[in-house]
Amino acid sequence: MGFIMEGLDAEAYDRTYTDRQLIKRIISYFRPKVGLMLVITILVVLGSCLDTAFPLLIAQSLDALVGTQVLHTALLLVGLILVSAALSWTCNMFRQHFTAIAVGDVVLKLRTDTFASVMERDMSFFDEFSSGKIISRVTSDTDSFATVVTLILNLLSQVLLFLLIAAVLFFRNAHLALLSMTIMPVIILIALGFRSLARRLTRQAQRSLARVNSNVQEVISGITIAKNFRQEQNMFDAFQDINKQSYYVNVRSGFLYNGIFPILVMIANAGTTIVIYFGGLDVLGHTISAGEWFLFVQSIGLLWLPLTSIASFWSQFQLGLAASERVFALLDAEPRIQQTAQHPPTRIEGTIDFQNLFFSYDDKQTVLKNFNLHIKAGETIAFVGHTGAGKSSIGKLIARFYEFQGGQLSIDGQDIRTFDLHAYRRQLGIVPQFPFLFSGTVTDNIRYARPDATDMEIETVARHIGGGDWLDALPEGLQTPVGETGKALSMGQRQIVALARVLLQDPAIIIMDEATASIDPLTEAQIQEGLDVILKDRTAIVIAHRLSTIRHADRIIVIDRGNILEEGRHETLMQQRSHYAELYNTYFRHQSPDYKPGEGFIEMTQLPVEDPLQA
Amino acid sequence: MSARSEFTLANDYQYNRSGPVRWIVSHLLRYKFFLFGGMFMAVTTNALYSTIPLFTGEAFNAVQRGQTGLPQLISITLILLALLLVQGSIDLSARFSAEVLSKRFTRDAREELYSNLLGKSQTFHNRQQVGDVMARATNDMSQLSDMVSPAFDTIFDSFSSLAVILIFIGFLNLRLLLVPVLYTIMFLIALRYYSRKLSPVSDRMREEFGKTNATLNEAVRGVEVVKATAQEPQEIAKFTTRAGRYRDYYVENGKIQGRYLPTLLLGIALALAFLHGLYLLSQHQINIGDLIAFIGLMTNLRFVTFMSIWSFGLVQLGISGAKRIIALLNEETNLDENEQGHQGKMHGDLIFEHVTFGYSNTPILKDISFHATPGQTIAIVGQTGAGKSSLTKLVNRIYDVQSGSVKIDGIDVRAWNLDALRSQISTIEQDVFLFSRSIAENIAYGLKEQKVDQAMVEQAAHDAQAHEFIQQFPHGYDTEIGERGVTLSGGQRQRLAIARALLTNPCILILDDSTSAIDSATEDEIQHALQRVQQGRTTLMITHRLSQIRWADSILVLQRGEVIAQGTHDELMKSCETYQRIFSHYDPVTPASVVVGQE
Repeated sequence: MGFIMEGLDAEAYDRTYTDRQLIKRIISYFRPKVGLMLVITILVVLGSCLDTAFPLLIAQSLDALVGTQVLHTALLLVGLILVSAALSWTCNMFRQHFTAIAVGDVVLKLRTDTFASVMERDMSFFDEFSSGKIISRVTSDTDSFATVVTLILNLLSQVLLFLLIAAVLFFRNAHLALLSMTIMPVIILIALGFRSLARRLTRQAQRSLARVNSNVQEVISGITIAKNFRQEQNMFDAFQDINKQSYYVNVRSGFLYNGIFPILVMIANAGTTIVIYFGGLDVLGHTISAGEWFLFVQSIGLLWLPLTSIASFWSQFQLGLAASERVFALLDAEPRIQQTAQHPPTRIEGTIDFQNLFFSYDDKQTVLKNFNLHIKAGETIAFVGHTGAGKSSIGKLIARFYEFQGGQLSIDGQDIRTFDLHAYRRQLGIVPQFPFLFSGTVTDNIRYARPDATDMEIETVARHIGGGDWLDALPEGLQTPVGETGKALSMGQRQIVALARVLLQDPAIIIMDEATASIDPLTEAQIQEGLDVILKDRTAIVIAHRLSTIRHADRIIVIDRGNILEEGRHETLMQQRSHYAELYNTYFRHQSPDYKPGEGFIEMTQLPVEDPLQA
Repeated sequence: MSARSEFTLANDYQYNRSGPVRWIVSHLLRYKFFLFGGMFMAVTTNALYSTIPLFTGEAFNAVQRGQTGLPQLISITLILLALLLVQGSIDLSARFSAEVLSKRFTRDAREELYSNLLGKSQTFHNRQQVGDVMARATNDMSQLSDMVSPAFDTIFDSFSSLAVILIFIGFLNLRLLLVPVLYTIMFLIALRYYSRKLSPVSDRMREEFGKTNATLNEAVRGVEVVKATAQEPQEIAKFTTRAGRYRDYYVENGKIQGRYLPTLLLGIALALAFLHGLYLLSQHQINIGDLIAFIGLMTNLRFVTFMSIWSFGLVQLGISGAKRIIALLNEETNLDENEQGHQGKMHGDLIFEHVTFGYSNTPILKDISFHATPGQTIAIVGQTGAGKSSLTKLVNRIYDVQSGSVKIDGIDVRAWNLDALRSQISTIEQDVFLFSRSIAENIAYGLKEQKVDQAMVEQAAHDAQAHEFIQQFPHGYDTEIGERGVTLSGGQRQRLAIARALLTNPCILILDDSTSAIDSATEDEIQHALQRVQQGRTTLMITHRLSQIRWADSILVLQRGEVIAQGTHDELMKSCETYQRIFSHYDPVTPASVVVGQE
């Protein structure tokens, strides 16, 4: 059995709430709907009263029949039954109608809240949790929340019905009523025992389902790799294991949920038998009338119906509670990025200061230790160094995607923690290494950062890059659909679109993470010309691997394991014949056409340092 | 079924996919024992359950008789207790059967969909929105499960109770059947009307759910861009619009459920039944005990009436879900496994003959012809969007050509067995995709059925210059990647991809700009390793590295989908203007020694 439970642990941000906390929280969502809820409650009460009327009326007429045989009274009662049925139906119709509106609105609110809270999370959250699992919380779990709410309303009407019937029974005959209640403790005990077991199994079932789903997500995203390596069978086998686990876990919890209903019905029926027997004795002893006895036998079924149906819906209720727990855990997760104030920055000059900064993504590895760096406004800085040296982290810290653990980071002399992040980021332009595009046209994507931009502006920006040559390769020019995540475009085209997006945004600080990696040398040269103009009055942080980009930088910073080894201009650094020169010789020479892999550096011609274009 | 697929399972159970209902039925029929066993037990349960009002009626008659009725009352009580026990256990078994059936159904349907998705062509996958496919594979699937248990379960249960009730009333007195039979007819008509009303709303609800999911998926996956551009409000607005539409259909669904007519009909039927009963009583056709039993049975109709609102709602949602799932299953795919195709060792002789290809009507590649002899390295250069990646994807049949042909060892790739073809070609992609598994598993990913040998994995990692950084992780090769694991840099990912490709020992190697993100000293060694790997292998290389281009055996210059020049570096430097321009933009490197020398 060991393997069955593998991989079903809670997420790091999961927390446990008591039922009371959960229900209180759920109810708080309904506060804006007080009026509607009041109407619904009144309808529920009315409906329950009308439902109780039926057995009462029947019993009344039976007594009439057995007693004085007045058919006239019976007819009147039939009329009353009709009226109560019609009223009950009307009440129910309005109730359903209003409930749907209330629940629909509340779920919409909850969904939007959850989504907004996901969007507020910093990047470490998205590194840790797969998109599949996050998505399932926002859509599926909030859906189950709707079920809970509907069920709570049902529960309310069932409890009311139970109380009403119980009241009527006590009023009619306290002795028999007490007798009918004898099995009540048994039912409550079973329901309670069931509850704790159900919670545990439900959680496991949902987690195993989430596991299945994230596996499906992975195959859909990684299908090309599976095809390239012809790994379909292995993928399938791995999936089958997870799917089997989910099957076992779900069948087990299903047994529990489905088992509870017949058991409770059985107990309820035992209760009915008790009333039949002892009530029958009472009739024989002439302590009660036959009609009254029948009323009890009839209504005891009705009395237990609410309880048993509560139990039968319990599974959905539990599923829903567990789901809302997951939703609330997501809403309540502490953001790691903590802003101390919300000052919207005015136009940023672009001075960046790192003071004794300490940063790590997790507790395992420290990326930056006691890091100090001053970047002047308008400067273009190129970071070079090994993979994992912390180059990208510097850019991400400036973008405030991650929280740092010590020291200070200030922009224009102001602590980055005091900014209103939205307003701050609007003045940042980030070109990531693997650009992400949203489905829509090329125009839509360039406009993304500034939804108010005109078509003319977009056209101008697009033409600005590489002389607009890249547009000719697009089948429908700027109106070409890019496909989901931009998959209809080549990687180079995506990078150009991402660059155009940032240019249109007109940021004060630009962060480029090897932004031109997949652009061919021809286009790159054209972009470079454009970039020189664009970068002129802005601070630019370039994490560059390309010679051409690096050599155009105002200052090159050589970084290793979070430490600055050297800094300066290309020529100066080369003359120092230290780290940069070494990096340059070993790292960048392979970008030269004169380099032959594994065989060292074969010089084509002896050329001076100056740009050959000027020569 | 001759549907095309790139991947099929051995001994795959065949389901009928001609319609949602048939598909569901064919799935359920796979487990006849649970299906029919469950049905039988449900009927038995109901038959037993409905005898309770009969015994109650008997008891009423007994107590009417005074003290002489006591022994009868006792025996009725005992019978009732025994009945309850038997009925309860059968009920329990019936429900367990339904549960097993429901969970097996979803398990099988998931497997069916999963293997089907694996078998679909890349063209198909490019068309799909990941979020929507996910919604079908997850939420629509759970709708299926809910449809079988509790919905089918409840429907069968409640309808057999309806039948049993009618039969029992018939036994009491045939005349009493008048009202209940009329009610049943009206009930069925109203139910049909209800289902029809509900069906389009359920369809739209599922559809909107899928779209909401797709919007959400996009926002979450592109969250870095959203944050970087501070466009959260835009994304939230987009999402709210979608979720708002779903809410509208949800409310519509609720309204239809509220207008469910059978509950009203039942109230009327109960009143009329009572009236009819009273009439028959006054005519001495029945006794009071019969009347009481009759009313008791009629009251039990509440179960089928009330449960149908909910159970038929679930069925509608389940059918809508099934529609969406089989729509995905039945999507045509244009490639197949070609089991009878050519198999055997590949030598790596690659020929493109007048190849034209496009994703839509606009061709991406036009009349491409070239020849690569075994062991040659061909560099493909050209501006972004020129069709370089598309060209390489024709070799291992990720896509098929529209006209012309691609031949390996003189055999058209479409005549190769897909398995044999793809397993002898390795691709290192631009955007490296790694699975959320351990590093060792990711490297060994390409090995088929072979036992994963740690030594081999480490050797490959060594060759790809990945060993060193892997060793630095606390768990070494067992370190998990992605979720719950480490985040790797672009360069690290690429080295793992190279190791992955090395381990499969391919005959044709496709490098799609695979070293562009490697920035460190390791590049030289990787290049060296790659060069070793390239020996004896035909290599297609998309690259922007001038050095790689320069040393390739042959260079293909692509412009807007056409080959404008082909030859060695020296030839092209003389003959091709575009090629010259690539190199002219480059600042030649001067080794440090030269710089120093010039001081």
